[in-house]
Amino acid sequence: MILYNYICAFFLIVLGFYTIVTKYNLVKTVIGMSVMDYGVNLLIISVGYTPGGTAPVFTAGELTQASYFVDPIPQALTLTSIVIGACVTAMSMSLVMRLHESYGTLDTREIRRLRG
Amino acid sequence: MINLNNMVDYHHFPIYSIMVLFLGAFLIAATGGKESKNPRNPAGFRAWIALIATGLSLFFLGSLVKPVMMDGEVIAYWMGSRGIAGGYAIGIALEVDALSLFFALLISTAVFVSAIYSIRYMVHDDCVPQYYVLYCLLAGGVLGLVLSGDIFNMFVMVEILTFAAVALTAFRTKVYGALEAAFKYLVVGCMGSTAILTGVIMLYAQYHTLNLAQLASLIPGSMNNATKLAFAFLYIGFSTKAFIVPFHPLAADAHGAAPASISVLISGVLTKSGIYGIIRLTYFLFQTMNLGASQFMLVFIGSVSMFVCVTMALAQHDFKRLLAYHSISQIGYVLAAVGLSTSLGVSAGLYHAMNHTLFKGLLFLAAGAVLHETGTTDLGKLGGLSKKMPHTTVLFLIGAFSISGVPPFNGFASKWMIYQAAYQKAVESNNIGFLAVTIVALVTSTLTLASFVKVSQSVFFGQLPKEYENVKEVPFGMRLAMGILAVLCILTGIFPNTVTGILTQPAAKAVADVGEYITAMGFKSNLPVPELNFAQVGVWEPINWLLILCCALLALTVVAVAGKYDRVSESESENEAVETKYQLFYGGEKNVYSQVGGGDLFWGFKHNWRHYFSFMHDLHSGVVNDYALWAVVALALAIVYMMIVF
Repeated sequence: MILYNYICAFFLIVLGFYTIVTKYNLVKTVIGMSVMDYGVNLLIISVGYTPGGTAPVFTAGELTQASYFVDPIPQALTLTSIVIGACVTAMSMSLVMRLHESYGTLDTREIRRLRG
Repeated sequence: MINLNNMVDYHHFPIYSIMVLFLGAFLIAATGGKESKNPRNPAGFRAWIALIATGLSLFFLGSLVKPVMMDGEVIAYWMGSRGIAGGYAIGIALEVDALSLFFALLISTAVFVSAIYSIRYMVHDDCVPQYYVLYCLLAGGVLGLVLSGDIFNMFVMVEILTFAAVALTAFRTKVYGALEAAFKYLVVGCMGSTAILTGVIMLYAQYHTLNLAQLASLIPGSMNNATKLAFAFLYIGFSTKAFIVPFHPLAADAHGAAPASISVLISGVLTKSGIYGIIRLTYFLFQTMNLGASQFMLVFIGSVSMFVCVTMALAQHDFKRLLAYHSISQIGYVLAAVGLSTSLGVSAGLYHAMNHTLFKGLLFLAAGAVLHETGTTDLGKLGGLSKKMPHTTVLFLIGAFSISGVPPFNGFASKWMIYQAAYQKAVESNNIGFLAVTIVALVTSTLTLASFVKVSQSVFFGQLPKEYENVKEVPFGMRLAMGILAVLCILTGIFPNTVTGILTQPAAKAVADVGEYITAMGFKSNLPVPELNFAQVGVWEPINWLLILCCALLALTVVAVAGKYDRVSESESENEAVETKYQLFYGGEKNVYSQVGGGDLFWGFKHNWRHYFSFMHDLHSGVVNDYALWAVVALALAIVYMMIVF
């Protein structure tokens, strides 16, 4: 069961790489970056999963040795990662807008004033 | 209850030094983006906030020199006093050993000097208050990265600094190619960050901790395939931050487009954070540096970066873009020296990293001064500025001499140490390959000098174009910033032994003594305390001069043979003019009087190497897909390499 998560996570990461490398549209590049991010998020959340565990929310005194819950740290990490991913998307989309304004195109093959 | 005595305890200083920068960023942002009326300082008091924040940060780190560098203490600091429970780190830690402090000092010095420079440099721009917000964020991110003792925090700081750096690259949206450079940097930088995060998570899945010291105590000896995969991901992630080959085109684009004060940070600070990450990975986390394969990896990539980037620099005709390629070339020196895995090599590499920050900062600031006064950095359009900007010229020349390794400037001392370290390593390990590093380093140094002859000729000497008749010297604030760096360049060059004794040798010792890093954090380690030998054969020992001379001759021969090879085929034609035309350095049109512009000073040399140059030019196509492809290929190669050798 959890194995599929790992396979899917790496599939998404590779799909993101593939999109960035092969697509010549800036918006698709940004989508590729997002897909890559989702893959990593899925990987993180899968790492913390324990079959049958409850949510890691306890008040003082409730927590005993017998408590069985999923690892809370990866969930915190995923939140951080999601926030960062949103920032990346926002920033890259704003750059894409400005690029479209000044270059008049979204084709990466034409946005190459700096080369050599 | 706030205990004042407790607050001035130096154990809190690392977190203070990061906090003041983020606090500064917050304060500047909170006071709004309205610009002041003062034409000499459009950001008003917000510039002073940034200056004070960076100055305080430098002060806090400077006062750690005595306990950490001299007494050899490793500061382990748990945020909120939540430390270890049940043998596992549950808190977020800062860990400051001599290596961290060394990089932190470099960073905060560069940030402080560049902040001084920014005040007068940014007068032509709009949105200057926002510039300082991003500036403080960038500085805080890099400091947080090098002082952190927690690998996930390293990732977060990497993201913060990447954001700030991308935003600052695109800050001058009207500059030719700024947006484009920022976008490329963001795409590949984001791939790098994702690689780092993936690596971090794979380590967490294996070892259930994010603490660097604990990971360092757990990983070695229990390397499995997942760990190796994580290593490859982390390594490539930090490589994108250091801009080493194959990520160098991003650096060239970003440096060229960013304001000069930010180019200083990207070249002097961001690349250092990548190098720091690589050292932490290879020496501490995975402890693979005693293996030949790991040494080969760093030394090889370092040498390739050195050579490829210096030749790319020769072909540039934009001042800042040229400096950017040189910057990565010098990072290649650092990486190769660190990869030697001897105490002398590490010490030399760190010494060169420090010098790189100083002289590269100086050169970028000088380029910024030229841009500030003339409005261009195109080498073909500039010329003769030495009459109009004498101070800037002198300061630029100090930087140029330093980077070219001319004694007695600092570049000479550190490059000298790198040559020696590589040579010693070759003798010790009986491996001729390390000798090749010395030769590559020497050839690179020669080409660097050649390139700076070109720059100084075409910018500061030669004929002054008519439109720059009214150019004035830059304001005092900017000259002050350059002056500080120039003085540091000379001081670190004249007193190499003092500098290495106080700064780089403790850092190299920290690199070797991983056990201390682990136990200081409260984890068990059975790593032995290493014995270190910093002895070099003596800087002024004549036998070394002779050796270097031989190497230099060899380097010259390589260049000469490369030139002669083509000349022979050329001289088969009867025309004598053609024969002299393609000679190295002296070629040119004999009959026609022509003012040799700086861009053409080495055109004979370039002509002889035209196939290489045109190949490289085509390779750096400027299409973001290509650079992303390089990143993916590098990642794949790293994974394959690590799976095979470790």
